[in-house]
Amino acid sequence: MNKIPINIWINESRYQQLCQSGLEGMTKEVLAGMKVLQIFCTEEQKDLLLKRYPQAKYDQSTTKSIELLPAEFKENLFNRIVEKKSLDVITELL
Amino acid sequence: MDFIGHGNTVIQERKMNSSEARQLVEKTKQIPISSRVARECIDLAYGFFTPLIGFMNSATLNSVCQEMKLIDGTLWPIPILMDIDKSTIDKNNLKVGEKVILSYEGVPLALMDIEEIYQYEKQKIAQAVLGTTEKKHPGVMMIDQWMDYFIAGPIQLMNEPHFQPPFDRFWFTPLQLHKIFKEKNWKRIVAHQTRNVPHTGHEWLMKGAWFSANGDLSVEKLKTGILVSCIIGPKRIGDYIDEAILLTQQELNDSAYFNPDIHMVSFVLWDMRYAGPKEAILHAIIRSNLGCTHHMFGRDHAGVGSYYDPYDAHRIFDEIPEGSLSIKAIRLLEWFYCPICQEVTYSGLCGHTKERQNFSGTMIRSIIQDKVQPTRLLMRPEVFQTMMQSAEQYGFGSPFCNEKYLKERRPIFILSPVSK
Ligand SMILES: [Zn+2]
Repeated sequence: MNKIPINIWINESRYQQLCQSGLEGMTKEVLAGMKVLQIFCTEEQKDLLLKRYPQAKYDQSTTKSIELLPAEFKENLFNRIVEKKSLDVITELL
Repeated sequence: MDFIGHGNTVIQERKMNSSEARQLVEKTKQIPISSRVARECIDLAYGFFTPLIGFMNSATLNSVCQEMKLIDGTLWPIPILMDIDKSTIDKNNLKVGEKVILSYEGVPLALMDIEEIYQYEKQKIAQAVLGTTEKKHPGVMMIDQWMDYFIAGPIQLMNEPHFQPPFDRFWFTPLQLHKIFKEKNWKRIVAHQTRNVPHTGHEWLMKGAWFSANGDLSVEKLKTGILVSCIIGPKRIGDYIDEAILLTQQELNDSAYFNPDIHMVSFVLWDMRYAGPKEAILHAIIRSNLGCTHHMFGRDHAGVGSYYDPYDAHRIFDEIPEGSLSIKAIRLLEWFYCPICQEVTYSGLCGHTKERQNFSGTMIRSIIQDKVQPTRLLMRPEVFQTMMQSAEQYGFGSPFCNEKYLKERRPIFILSPVSK
């Protein structure tokens, strides 16, 4: 089951892109118009990510999400979501 | 014209000319000092610590620890001390009554007239000033790392520091600031102490304090200014880099989020003790020496962990004798974003307590880490751009201190050699 989130930050311009892909409803507003889009991973995908990006961390105590992934990886993730008009992109990026 | 600082004392710079310095180098002992002591020598010499003129002796230290006062009764909350080890004392045969050159990174910085060499229980200092002796308190850690002896006496600067870009344009001494405020015709100046790249919550903290300080003054010709007074001292991994702090604070002015007529950015060299309420008093004293009339204190000022109540640094101003400070504390609650009001608002004003969105440092850090430009309601786009440029130019790609920055960053100031 996919349950461990990666948080992708959504600003004004990213929100526009999501609107064009019809995915704007998947975001959650968190702070001053800044939204978050959550992509969920399985345990195995999480382990794979942490192995590939050693600086990344699974924040078990507070956010319960995968943090400190490289900015480039997360940007790539967002771009694939917009292209594919789907949140189901993690498998192909691993 | 004389400018008056803390303790109703005239602010005086303590420095000698270069020929005097050259002559002294030939015949005077030299001892090395730490970077903290170097910063505090500079502070002492330019009057940031008025009325202090040197590092404290044991009687003053005792009085500060026990009564939060100097010997003459002037309010003073935190000891200013120079630590030294026994071998430096012995090797140089240092004696009370003689002069010694304090040299930083091999270059003479200041001259001290040795008044006393003494020992004092470090735990007692920590307990009195910080209210704890727990080693995980960063102030306790600092005191713990000091060497075992203290050397006291007035100091005089031999060698003026040359601040390097971008620090040079933000370096103002107390006397320079007093003159600038006079030229600007600012009658009230409210100090904002910071170690942050500003988000809109910080911006509103300053704006709110400006309204408080301006109070009953005419609004037709503005005579109230904001002095952003950044703290520059030792850094830890994950802190914002100094260059990004100064340049982004200035960006709020350059991009006119603050009218340049009522806002300026500067810095103070200071190693945070994280002494909460007592440090709040010291910050107020330093800013009164800069010519400020008001000082803003937000939640948990100079605090760390859960050692102090978030508003201890407000309450201490009720406990000090009236008239012991020439600066007023402006006490502030928190600013946050309210999605119902659709604006950045204040916890004392907005009643949408359930809906409020606090400016979470962790969240903002994570957004910046991902190089995603925050919404303009969260951080001004120009501030974000300047921060990212500073990261490239000074931070080895990151606006947060990393190991490479801590090791290889460019110096804040340099000293010219003092040759015979
Ligand atoms: Zn509201």
